[in-house]
Amino acid sequence: MRNLLYIIYRFSALVTFILLELLSVYLIINFNKSQGEIWSHSSNLLVEGVNQKVGLVEDFFTLKSKNDSLFRANAELLQTIINYRIFSDDKGGFQAYEQAISDSIPSYKLITAIVTSRTVNLRNNYITIDKGSAQGVKPGMGVITDNGVAGIVKSTTQKYASVILILNSQSRISCKVADKEYHGNLIWKSSDTRIMNLIDVPKHADINIGDRIVTSGYSISFPKSIPIGRITDYKIQGGVNSYNIEVTLDYDLSNVKHVYVVQFEDSEEKDNLLSSLNE
Amino acid sequence: MNELWRRNIIRTLFVLFLQLILLKRVNLTLGDFNYVHLTIYAVIIALAPLKMPRALLIGLSFILGLTVDLFYDSLGVHAGAATFVAFIRHYVLILLMPAEGYKQAVLSPYWYGFSRFIMYMSLLLVIHLSVLYSLEAFSFVYFKEIILRTISSFMASLFLIMIGMLIFNPKY
Repeated sequence: MRNLLYIIYRFSALVTFILLELLSVYLIINFNKSQGEIWSHSSNLLVEGVNQKVGLVEDFFTLKSKNDSLFRANAELLQTIINYRIFSDDKGGFQAYEQAISDSIPSYKLITAIVTSRTVNLRNNYITIDKGSAQGVKPGMGVITDNGVAGIVKSTTQKYASVILILNSQSRISCKVADKEYHGNLIWKSSDTRIMNLIDVPKHADINIGDRIVTSGYSISFPKSIPIGRITDYKIQGGVNSYNIEVTLDYDLSNVKHVYVVQFEDSEEKDNLLSSLNE
Repeated sequence: MNELWRRNIIRTLFVLFLQLILLKRVNLTLGDFNYVHLTIYAVIIALAPLKMPRALLIGLSFILGLTVDLFYDSLGVHAGAATFVAFIRHYVLILLMPAEGYKQAVLSPYWYGFSRFIMYMSLLLVIHLSVLYSLEAFSFVYFKEIILRTISSFMASLFLIMIGMLIFNPKY
């Protein structure tokens, strides 16, 4: 008992000190707004720092699935925009679009695909994508990226498809000057992966540098109003009735990774009609 | 013994009056340099009787700090600093112990000389002010400001305390 009392006496100062100091800190935190905020903030800083680090590692592992889901979500949005452009035009408004979708009038569908191999530095450039006939990809379908036109499907296998990029001497894309309805064909003559040439635009057309070039929608491959680029230069060659327009692409095809294959539900009918006209 | 307690209580009331009524209102701002705050009530703890039980000193210091807090609208800040000074006083006393030990009731310049008292008071004051401003900022993010405040307030406050010692030169 004496020992216990002695110990209590011996440590009474320290115990009193610790208790009162804790009481002070308690008072500071509870009755002073700024200190209370700093305390909660500091503890958050510490905890949040750790949480953030863990989150970063976690993010890294979920990156792929997040990317995939974003990719699919993006495809759906693009698809909606494309179909909206087509159906809302004549009748007007969003109701017309919804009506058309509910009546299941043939519309555009996008198939997501990832580029498995590509060339961009040759005269005729191709990419290979990881979707094939099993997923509904057929030769002649257009391929677009988030930003614009990429190319046209040339051939397919069960699981893969080969796409002619617009950076290819065989590529001809039907285009028009946005809002002006002059249309021509987009070809690639230069070796620069960002510069395209628009030919067959009649020379009476009123065009300016900076005008946007979009797809015309006349072919079955692409819906209308998919962006391509801007006019950076134009000239009329002697003895020809059309402009030679230089178009700079808005996007870089040399690092394209995610693409969408444009599938028109009623393409066969339009295809037949076009081929019968050609005969 | 009664005289000792009476003197201490009077000193406490006097210093608190100075601190809370006068020094609190003194605004020593030189342009942007707003770091000088006259804080002298640590002298009460410094001059408390040497034989006082430590736990009692710590408890009374807490109440002293709390009283100051009520006037400074900073509940807990001064209490924490004063409690800390009361706790650390024991170790400072051991550090500065003369060869023959403490024979007198208080460590005042009258008994132990000005040089030892300045040493003793400076240590306590630096500890007091640094704890005080650390608790006030409540984060070491403001490290530079805490240091600045501590140093400038320390010099001004020590000057004031030494003037007080020269005037009163307390025996008890």
